[in-house]
Amino acid sequence: MIDVVVQGVLLGGYYAILAAGLAFLYSVMGLFNLAHGSFAVLAAYFVVMLCDALGLDPFLAIALVVLALGVIGVVVERLVFEPSTRGGPLLSVLATFGLSVVLDNAMFQVFGANTRSLAPYIGDLSWASWELGDLYVGKLAVITLVAAVAVLGGLHLFLTHTGLGRAIRATAQDADTAGLVGIDPRRARTIAAAIAFMTIGLAGAALGMRATFTPYSGTPQLLFAFQAAVIGGSNSIWGTLIGGIVLGLSQTIGAEISTQGFFIAGNLVFFAVLFARLYGGSLRLPALILKRKV
Amino acid sequence: MNSTGKPEFSGLDRRGFLAGAATLAAVTALPLRAQGDTTLRIGFISPRSGPLAAFGQGDDFVIAQVRAAVAGGIEIAGTTYTVEIIDRDTQSDPSRAAQLANDLINNEGVDLMLASSTPETINPVADSCEAAGVPCLSTVMPWEAWYFGRGAKPDEPSPFKWSYHFGFGVGEFAKAYITQWNLIETNRKVGVLYPNDADGNAVRAMLAPQLADAGFEIVDPGAFENLTVDYSAQIRAFKEAGVEIINSFALPPDFAAFWRQAAQQGLLKDIKIGQVAKTGLFPSDIEAMGSLGPGLSSAAYWHRDMPYSSPVTGQSAEALAAGYEAETGTQWVQSLGASTALFDVGIAALTASAAPKDKAAVAAAIAGLRTDTIGGVVDFTAGPVPNVAHGPLVGTQWVEGTGAWPIDYVVTENTTDPNLPVVGTLHAYNE
Repeated sequence: MIDVVVQGVLLGGYYAILAAGLAFLYSVMGLFNLAHGSFAVLAAYFVVMLCDALGLDPFLAIALVVLALGVIGVVVERLVFEPSTRGGPLLSVLATFGLSVVLDNAMFQVFGANTRSLAPYIGDLSWASWELGDLYVGKLAVITLVAAVAVLGGLHLFLTHTGLGRAIRATAQDADTAGLVGIDPRRARTIAAAIAFMTIGLAGAALGMRATFTPYSGTPQLLFAFQAAVIGGSNSIWGTLIGGIVLGLSQTIGAEISTQGFFIAGNLVFFAVLFARLYGGSLRLPALILKRKV
Repeated sequence: MNSTGKPEFSGLDRRGFLAGAATLAAVTALPLRAQGDTTLRIGFISPRSGPLAAFGQGDDFVIAQVRAAVAGGIEIAGTTYTVEIIDRDTQSDPSRAAQLANDLINNEGVDLMLASSTPETINPVADSCEAAGVPCLSTVMPWEAWYFGRGAKPDEPSPFKWSYHFGFGVGEFAKAYITQWNLIETNRKVGVLYPNDADGNAVRAMLAPQLADAGFEIVDPGAFENLTVDYSAQIRAFKEAGVEIINSFALPPDFAAFWRQAAQQGLLKDIKIGQVAKTGLFPSDIEAMGSLGPGLSSAAYWHRDMPYSSPVTGQSAEALAAGYEAETGTQWVQSLGASTALFDVGIAALTASAAPKDKAAVAAAIAGLRTDTIGGVVDFTAGPVPNVAHGPLVGTQWVEGTGAWPIDYVVTENTTDPNLPVVGTLHAYNE
């Protein structure tokens, strides 16, 4: 049973890092980025390209790709998010959905159909583990969990303790009023998008190291990110970590009961949380929820 | 339709335009039925983009080879026919496969349909051809899923008049696996990773009992959903049972996640044979596994060492693989041979019919066909059920490359095709 819990928590770390960018964009912009998974896959391809073509150290490559994703975030914000959110929430959902389809097929054109992974570039890290008695703890899984805690904790501190973080929250709450007190809402949104995309870069690296991917691997990743983000709630960015771990734990416990139970348990918990929120009356627009933020 | 026609036919009213269009359609359709038509249209449908695209990655090359080979036309019963190959990509989508088949049948007027790789591609195409009365040939999926999966019943006459399939089935899997697993000493305990999908449930019901009859103890933790992310439950079950052989029919990303986690959890140090299906067919699957890839066993439906040649292109198996590597700069894939064999059988059927524009004659010719292909003899008169011809499936292992490529694909047993030389010795995965 200890093994089930440990594996569940570690899996939760992966979900949390996957969900960080999605939850952040939603909580500060009210925007559901359906291209989230596709961008994670794109980031993974970038890392493979840098390692493969230039022979870079994989962790240096990941750092460069995280920065590159930040730039892409700025471009996507200006070209897609900003114009589409002006047309209302439905339009931005459709726009990001379209973006994901374009991105998946563009990646197929450029990178082909072959299965790729970062595993060949990181030696045995993709499967190495620490042995604690009967318990095996994957090194990569621990690193991912630590990274998730660091990223989400960092984002939380950033939003609550820095001027820029306050500016982003103010813009999310009421862009017009924020503008009156001297905040440039456009700049705040752009920076928020860049940060969200940098976490997507990390999520892509985590995906590429723990599993394999093809140009069409983005959608399932989006689904897990979405579930973790919803379970975590958008009250606090920390919630995403809890959400990821709850999802991971319920899936491994479900699989322990029956191997078919992996998704069923995760989905049941997801719906249970969703309904509890609906009836508890706390499922609101992100702007309203932000008021209760620390 | 009518709105696109408006600018050009601005002098016509809508009714006049439609009447004109109908006449035009009737006139253009006429040559297809005319006696003197000497163009044979062959439809070729395969997945070349989307999740199944790895199966279709050699098809551009194969089609170019075949087009070059038949550029001067083929002579059938004293008439020289020009051959037109119309190739389509399903984008790995079954409903698109059906649409494409209907389009090729109704708008391109194909005389023969070819479909390759996976039930998602083949079954919808075969069903469309069956409904429209167009002869259809297919390969690369277990024939049981093609025959029984489309509504045929055991011990009843075949319900299919127009669709035919050749290639391996569950029986070939069983023969290859049993021979392969007896090559080295193990405790004969097999942990199976069979998902809850068409293939997984079919092998659980049909393959596992044959393996058990051959003296292997099957450890099945139960079906699981595709795209499961964590396999600790299965790994615990395998460790408790002490398995030394693992047989997976999981999707490629699922197997990769499982195998890495199995390494992480210390399971793989006891594993002597890792026998995979659905993944491990192509070098890219194995390369993506990093240091865990070499040593995995697979089963091949075609191999470059096969001592056969294509009657259509005249190429030997080795020449086809080498030509592909020279032209594309990527390692050969087994789908090259399967797609070429499909054209071999298709053109043999058109020739054998003596009346290739007569669809009923072509279908009848396929039923009695026995022909050479680049993948060996395809014999529809000796199939396991009507409409189906057997094909081989040989045990293979991925090993560290000795030549131009990082990994090589070597044959380790040849029960289902004794002509294929066994050049490799199966070595234990954990050694």
